Amino acid sequence: MQFQNLFNFKNAKEDPQMSATEAISKTFSHSCNPPPPPKKKRNLPGTPDPEAEVIALSPRTLLASNRFVCEICGKGFQRDQNLQLHRRGHNLPWKLRQRGSKESRKRVYVCPEPACVHHNPSRALGDLTGIKKHFCRKHGEKRWKCDKCAKKYAVLSDWKAHVKTCGSREYRCDCGTLFSRRDSFITHRAFCDALAEETARVSAAVFNNITSNMDLKPTSFINVNNGDQVIVEQQQVKQRESRGVNTNSAFNNGDLYGSCSNLQQPEGQLSWAGNSTNNHGDIFSLSTTRTVKGENVFAHGSFPSLFSSLEHNPTLGSDTSATALLQKAAQVGASTIPFLGSLFKEELGGETRDFLGVGMHPSFSGWL
Amino acid sequence: MQNPPAPFTSALHLALDPDLFSADPIRPWAADLLRNCARAFSERDSANLQRLLWMLNELASPYGDREQRLAYAFLQALFCCATASGDRCYTTSLAVAERAISFASTRRLALKFQEAAPWTTFGHVAANGALLHALDAVPAIHIVDVSDTFCTQWPTLLEALASRADTDAPRVRLTVVASAASAGVMSEIGVRIEKFARLMGVSLEFRAVVAPASPRFADALRPEELELRDGETVAVNCVSALRRAGTGGSRDAFLRAAAALEPRVVTVVEEEANFAGVGEFAESFEECLRFYGAYFDMLEESFPATSNERLALERESFRSLVGVLACDGRGPDRVDHGERRERGRQWCRRLERCGFQTFGFSDDVVDDLKALLRRYRPGWSLLPAEGEASGMYLTWKEEPVVWSCAWKPK
Repeated sequence: MQFQNLFNFKNAKEDPQMSATEAISKTFSHSCNPPPPPKKKRNLPGTPDPEAEVIALSPRTLLASNRFVCEICGKGFQRDQNLQLHRRGHNLPWKLRQRGSKESRKRVYVCPEPACVHHNPSRALGDLTGIKKHFCRKHGEKRWKCDKCAKKYAVLSDWKAHVKTCGSREYRCDCGTLFSRRDSFITHRAFCDALAEETARVSAAVFNNITSNMDLKPTSFINVNNGDQVIVEQQQVKQRESRGVNTNSAFNNGDLYGSCSNLQQPEGQLSWAGNSTNNHGDIFSLSTTRTVKGENVFAHGSFPSLFSSLEHNPTLGSDTSATALLQKAAQVGASTIPFLGSLFKEELGGETRDFLGVGMHPSFSGWL
Repeated sequence: MQNPPAPFTSALHLALDPDLFSADPIRPWAADLLRNCARAFSERDSANLQRLLWMLNELASPYGDREQRLAYAFLQALFCCATASGDRCYTTSLAVAERAISFASTRRLALKFQEAAPWTTFGHVAANGALLHALDAVPAIHIVDVSDTFCTQWPTLLEALASRADTDAPRVRLTVVASAASAGVMSEIGVRIEKFARLMGVSLEFRAVVAPASPRFADALRPEELELRDGETVAVNCVSALRRAGTGGSRDAFLRAAAALEPRVVTVVEEEANFAGVGEFAESFEECLRFYGAYFDMLEESFPATSNERLALERESFRSLVGVLACDGRGPDRVDHGERRERGRQWCRRLERCGFQTFGFSDDVVDDLKALLRRYRPGWSLLPAEGEASGMYLTWKEEPVVWSCAWKPK
């Protein structure tokens, strides 16, 4: 489209009636060879040539894998051509059909399943192998199972293709962590701070009544808490490395048994049965003086209330169906987010719905 | 036991096997020493007990190898046994731990454990598989989650519901019945899981309820407590929940309350150990050695050497061991610690008595479980239950450690 406009504009002075194609060929003919012939147009899947002959094959026919059987050795073949070539080996008379034998009429195939979208002749598929695979994939029994992730497939070639890549795929969360296992990735993602941030950022942009401060607050709350933990952990490791294993400060939770490493020291400190309860009390109360790091920031209440105000907003599309959401996400972001392919069904189509219901298209740098 | 113990002069003094103190680091020494301590305790042999505990104290360490950590755990418990301070010790330890709970620490611990070992994920995959199977084509689901898993079981279920090819995702209500200790973090967890579900395209309504203390644990399952609605199909998910429902009769009461909800399915996951018996001390002790020995061994082989998460998990089991060995459930300080696990076959008997029948895991679920175990280090395997028990066991080095089963009302 852009190209067309460009050339229309350029040539407007010379000849306003000239079409884009003519303009292009005019320009090209000055400098190089004649333009390549226009590419043969390919129909969209399931939108057949109206002149074509509609064939409705039975489920049995579609699922039969080796219909063409050699009468000598019983070997089965998917295509008649292959059987004919095989018959040559038995010195049997064979006949290969010419390519032109189908020139009478183009054939398109419908799916025998009444509820299927391809059952309607206006959505028939143009390829015999295509309709066979479609029927098997969508309506057939899933007999092939992946060893690693237990995902099931009806079509053998689909299964083979999956097994090649399964396990080698890596999933990256917004927070930067990399996962080799899909289940760990999903569980991590559900509780990841990056998820909370994503919504906070998008919602802040949508709603005017949230002050500009709020934009920073949610993330800083999250990062403070996380940051604290990370720093504390690093300190722990350092301390342990420098002072050796037997150190009290290795634990940052003021927990009972963390402080009980006292028991390692000379027997004087170990109070035996029958001694005063004071001694006993001493050991076990050491912990109460220790500060507890990584305190629950969220207990202060302001964080939950931020989200509760958002929860009540009806435009946050909680009634969007799974199918629509997945389709929408696939169309917008599948190419940039490789792993999403595993979550989406194969055939997409149908209406898309706005993710947030507010006419916005959120950036899909996040996950869905 | 008023004076410090006499100096330890020789192994023969304690009638112990001299080989016990060989320099070989690989030979497991803790179990035998601990058995000697247990015997001294049950025979009320104070002198010997003092000496043995002193020796145990010298050898044990919460930062050492598996043997040393196991020894340390039992040292705490035996000390509490000897000083009759189990209840107090348990209560204090629990209070301290509760103060330290935060959303971030809880999340980190749960997720790291799931990464390192299938101890918890086994139950999740088995239960989710049974739930998906039983709730196929149901438009409105109400899951009653009686567990302290902090909802780590649900993201994969939600994802499976969202990506089911044939139908739209059902409407899901999730009511978590959590222990008092976890209640603090449940609000944050609820917010996040609702958000996640929304992004997945599953309508999820979350609610958390605190479980009452154990004699009244069954009250958590009253229909008005759960706010049941018409048209929804109920599923009850119990992960390490049955053992928290008090003892004896209270457990049956809980199960009957679950049956009264007319659920489509009840999924059960429990750790495989018999700590509910009132038999000889030596028997319970042996069972503790078996279970906690496997647990500590598993932790050592699954986590890196300096893991904080491993330490946190071991600390929890120090407390749980005190509960099992040193708290007899009597006396004024008695605490309902919910550590009295039972074996799978014992739970099966209870469930059948309370109006349930088992339904087995489908082949798909078994395949999923096999695929799950393949994602972890070797040492884990599946063992289908046989005889009196039904369901599936997770085994660590051939020792059954976790049991899972699915049930429906008769």
